[in-house]
Amino acid sequence: MELQKSFLDPRTKLLLVFVEATLVLATAGGERLVVFRLAFTVLPFLLLLTAKCYSACIVGMLVLTVTEMLKYFVFQSSNGTLSFLLLMAITLITRFLPAYLMGVYVIRTTKVSEFKAAMERMHVPDELTIPMCVMFRFFPTVREEGTSIRAAMKMRGIGLGGGKASEMLEYRVVPMISCSAKIGEELSASALTRGLGKNRKRTNICKIGFGVADYIVMVVVMVMIIYWMAGYFGSVG
Amino acid sequence: MIQFEHVDFTYEANSETPSLRDISFTVKTGECVLLAGASGCGKSTLLRLLNGLIPEFYPGERKGRVLIEGREISNQEIYDLVGRIGTVFQNPRAQFFNVDTTSELVFGCENLALPEEEIVKRLEKTVADFHMEKLMNRSIFELSGGEKQRIACASVATLHPEIILLDEPSANLDFEGTENLRQMLAAWKELGKTILIAEHRISYVWDIVDRVLYLEEGRLRADWHKEELVNFTEETCQKYGLRSLVRSSPMMFVTPEGYRLEQNTAVTKAVKEQADQIVLRDFSYTYRHGATFRVRELRLPRYKVTAIVGANGTGKTTFLECLSGIRKNKGKLYLAEGENAGQDAAENGLGRAYSGRRCQKLIFMVMQDPNHQLFTESVLDEVLVSMPEEDEDKARVILEEVDLAQYADRHPMSLSGGQKQRVAIACAIASKRPILLLDEPTSGLDRKHMLEVAELLKRLKEQGRTIITVTHDSEFIRICCDEVMELSEVSA
Repeated sequence: MELQKSFLDPRTKLLLVFVEATLVLATAGGERLVVFRLAFTVLPFLLLLTAKCYSACIVGMLVLTVTEMLKYFVFQSSNGTLSFLLLMAITLITRFLPAYLMGVYVIRTTKVSEFKAAMERMHVPDELTIPMCVMFRFFPTVREEGTSIRAAMKMRGIGLGGGKASEMLEYRVVPMISCSAKIGEELSASALTRGLGKNRKRTNICKIGFGVADYIVMVVVMVMIIYWMAGYFGSVG
Repeated sequence: MIQFEHVDFTYEANSETPSLRDISFTVKTGECVLLAGASGCGKSTLLRLLNGLIPEFYPGERKGRVLIEGREISNQEIYDLVGRIGTVFQNPRAQFFNVDTTSELVFGCENLALPEEEIVKRLEKTVADFHMEKLMNRSIFELSGGEKQRIACASVATLHPEIILLDEPSANLDFEGTENLRQMLAAWKELGKTILIAEHRISYVWDIVDRVLYLEEGRLRADWHKEELVNFTEETCQKYGLRSLVRSSPMMFVTPEGYRLEQNTAVTKAVKEQADQIVLRDFSYTYRHGATFRVRELRLPRYKVTAIVGANGTGKTTFLECLSGIRKNKGKLYLAEGENAGQDAAENGLGRAYSGRRCQKLIFMVMQDPNHQLFTESVLDEVLVSMPEEDEDKARVILEEVDLAQYADRHPMSLSGGQKQRVAIACAIASKRPILLLDEPTSGLDRKHMLEVAELLKRLKEQGRTIITVTHDSEFIRICCDEVMELSEVSA
C-alpha cells in the first residue's frame, strides 16, 4: 500500500501558521516587511489550490477582493460612523483571513498521526501532543453536532426571530456540550482499549520529512528575519 | 479461557444498585458467546470488566475473581490487555481517534510500538481480508454508519487479539450493515477467536453463536447451549423479553402499492376517500458531492403509520429532513382539508398546498439522536416550549400520556435514551402538528422499549396523527406499521 507524503512537512506547516499569525495578523515588522506580508497573504490561497480545496480558495479570494475594493473605493470617500465600521471590517478581514485560511489548509491536509509524528520529532511531550491531536478530531465532530442541533431548533420553530437571545444561546450550547462530552468519553474509552497511554514508545508509519518545498519555505522565512533584523539594528545603530 | 467467579460489581457513580451480582461462568477459547438481556441488565458492565475499562475508566467496587488464561485481570493494566483483547463499541460516531481511515487501522499497532514493517504487513492483510480497499485513505467524516463500523472492526483486527468483545455493534446499522458485521463475526470465529458479543438485535448472530448467556438485573439467569438454541421459537424469545429471531430484510415487506399487514387492517376509515392521503411533490435535494435525491410524487396514507425503508445511501434521512424543512427545498405537500381547502385545492384536486415554512409547521421530526433536539432545563419546560400557547396542565397530561409524568422536573439530559426519545415524542404531541416523522426510532432498543414505542405510535395514529418513520427494524415494522414504502430513487 502506498503511504504518500504530503506536500509540506507538518513542522513547516506549523512554522507557516506562526508566520501568518505574527506577520499578517499581528503585522509584526511594520512597513519594512510589506513585500513579505503581501507574499504571505497570497500563499494560503496557493496552498489551498495544491490541496484541491477549491471552494475555500475561491470564496476566500472573493472576500479578500471585495474587501480591498471597499478599502480603495468606498473607504476613501466615507466619513463618520460608516468610515469607522468600514475600517474595522477591513482590518479584521485583511488580517484574519490569510491566517484563517492557512489554518484551514493545515487542518485539511494534516493527518492526526503525521502531526503526532512531527511533534515527537521535535520532542514535544505527550501531555501537550495528545490533547492537540484530539482537537483535530474534535472540531469537525463539534461542528457536526452543532449542525444537527441547529437543524432541530429550526424544525421545532425555535429561532432567533421571536425568542430571547440569551435563551437561544443556552439552547444551542447546552446540548452541544453534553453531546460533545459524551462523544469525548466514548472516544477516550475506545483509544484506551487500543493502547493509547502516556509516555510510552510508539511507532508511527507516517512518512514525514523535509523536502524541497519545506526548504524553500524555511529559506524565505530566514531571509525575512535577517532582512527585518538588519533594518531593525541598522536603524538603532 | 475466560473465567468469572462470583463477581459482584457496583459503579461508583451509581453506588446504590449493584450492576452485577454473583456472576460465575467460563468461556472456553474459540467459543462465540452472545450476552442477551434487557437494557441495563449488566451486559456492557461485563465486557468492561474484561477489557480493563473497569476500573481504569469506570471506577467502582468489584468482588470475586475475573481470570483470563488463569491470570487475575485486576493485576494487569489496561495497556497490557491491548493486543490480547479487542473491543468494538456501539457508537460509530465516537470510536475513532484519527480523522483518516488508514491511520485508524494502524493506531493500535503503533501504540504497541510494533516495528514498522510488521504494521504495514498487518495493514495490508486486514484490508485484503475485509475487502475494504475502497475505504482506505478516506476521512471518517464522509463514511456511513456501516462503513464506520467496518473500520472499527478492522482496527481491532490489526491488533490480532485472541479475544474480541463487541458492545451492541449493530445498534446503528441497517440491514445490509448488519449482514456485513455477521460475515466479519463468522470470519473471526473461523480463525478460532474467542468472541463475546452483547446485543439486542439477536437475529443476525443467533446461528453463529455457540452459547447464549442471559442476564437479568445483573444476575446470570440462563446459560443456553447450541442444542437449546436450535429449539428456540419466537414465543420463547418473547417470554425472555428478547427481540425476534427472524432475520428478514425490511425491504421484504414492500409491494408496489405498499405492503399491508394483516393485523393492522382494522384501521377505521372514518375520513372521506380523498382526505385519506397526503401527497408530496417535487421534494429534491442535492448533496454536497453532487448526487441528487429526488421525490417527484409520493402518496402517503393519512392517519396511518408508514415505514420508509431502503438501502444505505438512498437518502432516507435526507428525505425526512427535506420534509421537515430542515433542508431547504421547493417541495409541496398537499393536505385535504374538507370544505376549507381553498381555491388551489379545487384546481389540483389534491387538497391545500403547503410549502416552505407553512409545510414546516405541519411536521414534527423526532431525530435518531434525541440529544440533538432537547434544549431546556426540565422535561416539563421542553414540552411547554413546543406548545403554540404554553399551558402547564395540558403539558402534564401529555407527559402522563407518554409515561413520563414522574420525570417532569428532571433535566432531559439525565434521562435514559428511551426516555429522551419519549420526551421528543411528547414535544411532538404538544406542538399539535398533524404529521410526525421519526428517524430510526428503535435503534439500540430492547424488546420492551421497542414495544413501548410501537404502542405509543399506534395510539397517536388513533388520535388522528399521520406517522412516517424511517426504519430498518423488521420486527418493529411487523408490529406497528400499516404501510411500507421503499425509497430507492437516487439519480446521480
